[in-house]
Amino acid sequence: MATEKTDVVIVGIGAAGGILAAELGKAGMKVIGLERGPRLKTADFSPHDELRYFQRQELRPNAKRQPVTWRPNANVRANPMSILNYGNQAGGGTVHYGTLSWRFHEDDFRARSRTIERYGASAIPADSSIADWPVSYADLEPYYDRAEYELGVSGKAGNLQGRKIDGGNVFEAPRRREYPLPALLADQSGVLFEAGARKLGYHPFSSPRAILSEPYHDRPGCTYCGFCQSFGCHVGAKSSILVTKLPEADATGNFKLITGTMCYRVNTDNSGRATGVSYYGPDGSDNTIEAEIVILTPFIYDNTRLLLLSRTEKFPNGLANSSGQVGKHLMAHMMAKVFAAFDDRFVNVYMGPSAQKHTLDDFNGDNFDHSGLGFIRGSQVSIGPADLEAGPIGTAISLTPPPGTPRWGAAYRDFLAKYFARYGAIVAQTENLAYADQMIDLDPDLRDQYGLPAPRLTYDWRRPNEIARVEYLMTKMEGIGRAMGATHVWRAPLGPGAPGAHHEGGTRMGSDPKTSVVNRYGQTWDIPNLFVIGSSTFPSMSGFNPTLTIQAVAYMSADAIASRYKKNPGPLA
Amino acid sequence: MTKHDAARRAFLVRAAVGAGAVAGAGLVPELDAQMEHKQAESPSAAHQHPSGAEHGAFFNHDDAVTMAAFTERLMPGAPDKPGASDTGVLNYIDLALAGAYSDLQDFYRRGLAQLDAYCRKTHNTSFQHLNAAQQDEVLAALDEGKATGFTWPTAQDFFNTVRTHTMEGMFADPLYGGNKDFAGWRLVGFPGAQAMFTPIDMQSKQAFTRAPMVGLQSVSSNPIRKG
Repeated sequence: MATEKTDVVIVGIGAAGGILAAELGKAGMKVIGLERGPRLKTADFSPHDELRYFQRQELRPNAKRQPVTWRPNANVRANPMSILNYGNQAGGGTVHYGTLSWRFHEDDFRARSRTIERYGASAIPADSSIADWPVSYADLEPYYDRAEYELGVSGKAGNLQGRKIDGGNVFEAPRRREYPLPALLADQSGVLFEAGARKLGYHPFSSPRAILSEPYHDRPGCTYCGFCQSFGCHVGAKSSILVTKLPEADATGNFKLITGTMCYRVNTDNSGRATGVSYYGPDGSDNTIEAEIVILTPFIYDNTRLLLLSRTEKFPNGLANSSGQVGKHLMAHMMAKVFAAFDDRFVNVYMGPSAQKHTLDDFNGDNFDHSGLGFIRGSQVSIGPADLEAGPIGTAISLTPPPGTPRWGAAYRDFLAKYFARYGAIVAQTENLAYADQMIDLDPDLRDQYGLPAPRLTYDWRRPNEIARVEYLMTKMEGIGRAMGATHVWRAPLGPGAPGAHHEGGTRMGSDPKTSVVNRYGQTWDIPNLFVIGSSTFPSMSGFNPTLTIQAVAYMSADAIASRYKKNPGPLA
Repeated sequence: MTKHDAARRAFLVRAAVGAGAVAGAGLVPELDAQMEHKQAESPSAAHQHPSGAEHGAFFNHDDAVTMAAFTERLMPGAPDKPGASDTGVLNYIDLALAGAYSDLQDFYRRGLAQLDAYCRKTHNTSFQHLNAAQQDEVLAALDEGKATGFTWPTAQDFFNTVRTHTMEGMFADPLYGGNKDFAGWRLVGFPGAQAMFTPIDMQSKQAFTRAPMVGLQSVSSNPIRKG
């Protein structure tokens, strides 16, 4: 049982926590970071092993020791999910992610207002809780810029200060300057997707990724080995927090990382102020950190779980929950897929960065007219392997054969042997709306290895708005597959209603303390020295991957804490 | 830490029930009896198995023969087309169940016992004694969830798990006991964990042949057999 004192304690050193650790350390604040997993090194990520990292998920939480349960609705029992799609080490998910690094569109930050302006209030499903952000694209643009340059993102601008540039994403919001690094080379699936999409009048481009296309900041460029999603980078070309912000945090001399720990409570006093956190150490010890500022930056489930577990007489419904909004508005991307296979050539989709290699943004956000379509908001459409990783195990599991071909036996063997290196998967990553009854709470039956209740998800993406959007996109993707010249084009079956990738929500940000948990800086309305920062605060999710926006918000919050809160502790909004 | 340990134990029990489903819990005594029976059988018959039926870490003789036949029907071998037996899938699953997947031992025992019961009911004999067409018929019934008499695991869960593990045995690095001499990778044309691809590789419309396949223990034709 140890007690330590510090200025700032950060729970979870991932995409957001790593940035806050470095920036607050630079501002002269003493920072302790608590991390559940280990701190690995680039040397740990060689050689690449699909069974170990993709199939057995070694860089992700162990689903048996850290269970998370899911049920489609409140009337049925929740069961443990077999795969947990987030990180379990210093650097969090940035260690093994696919590195897609998007700036959200301007209208992504005001999805509700934009929908009402263009289509009328009735276009929004009655049960959706989709909301505007309390922050605009213009507010975040300097922080997006900083994240791209400090971390190292490769891409091509499509909108430079309002000037549209062919070859970049012409639908992107205006950026102040080019990406720090040129776009990554396209593999053959990207080349085919580019040509097919252009034939149809769309605007494809090489996806912006946090992978160095050239040496940068003393790190080498990408080797195009293809082991990105699920894997750590064996040369350090992936701009993970592990090789970017953690060394910066170390260099401040103000940062101490404690690995192998599990934070189980945020402590508060009778005045309603956070006094620090309690955590289990790697030896099972029960420890306390006293801190002036508590910042929660774990994966989204643990934000809700920690706030609920930290209830006191003063805060009987959990911390920061006077609005009753903690745990609500869970969102996740759903991946709809169409396969395109070629009899006359190889594609070799296992070469080059593996996830969402080439993209078109024509059907994302409100970039197209939704009038009469029966749904709002859209989807990023990209090409890559069947399951974001292109090894043969993942392919055998996720490349579902076309109708008429069985999934086992001689005909299946011949299908897999023929098409493993001759296909690409066109994937729609759909922006599913927020619904208040899609939520996170504490499982009443199941506990984790620490004896804490497991987070329980109640979620089913199969809402009328979402189903209509998937059908629309499936048809568009089939068209793209044919325009690519594929011999065979077919749809992958849709999964059950379980949450897919990029879980978001649970501690929504807003401008009204009655309807949100935190303000734009992630500061909780109820407890000004308690912050929650990460995609759990997103009021809507966009069709884009969340990481760069998590990082931009973390930079903005770090700035506000260092430049304003530090001098004058209190509400920032 | 007593409270902590108690919670941990409670979790383990719940996790076992949760992962296994309700029906499994009541079957434990029966399983124990079966295990004793199986352990009493001779474990030294490994060398008598048909080609590819390597085991010894987990499966008993009968189960190994059944698994060899099951996985071979999922991925049958043919000349120049290595299948489950050629690549050592049984050896992979046997080793995995003795190690990384030891929590699935009961799942397999129970799944195989139910498969056996189903075959005896429908064909009056065990899976290994059916001809290939009959075996396919049985597996289709599992795949489609039409096979009767399965409680836990369900027929589909058992089928899907064996299918997944067959693919792992075909395509995981030879270090894990399958994918013998990279035969699985050769079947589909995967070059293994190449440390890099060049711009010329990336521009090619042909199959990749520039470099030999790279495995965890370099380019080995003798996968390590542990057990």
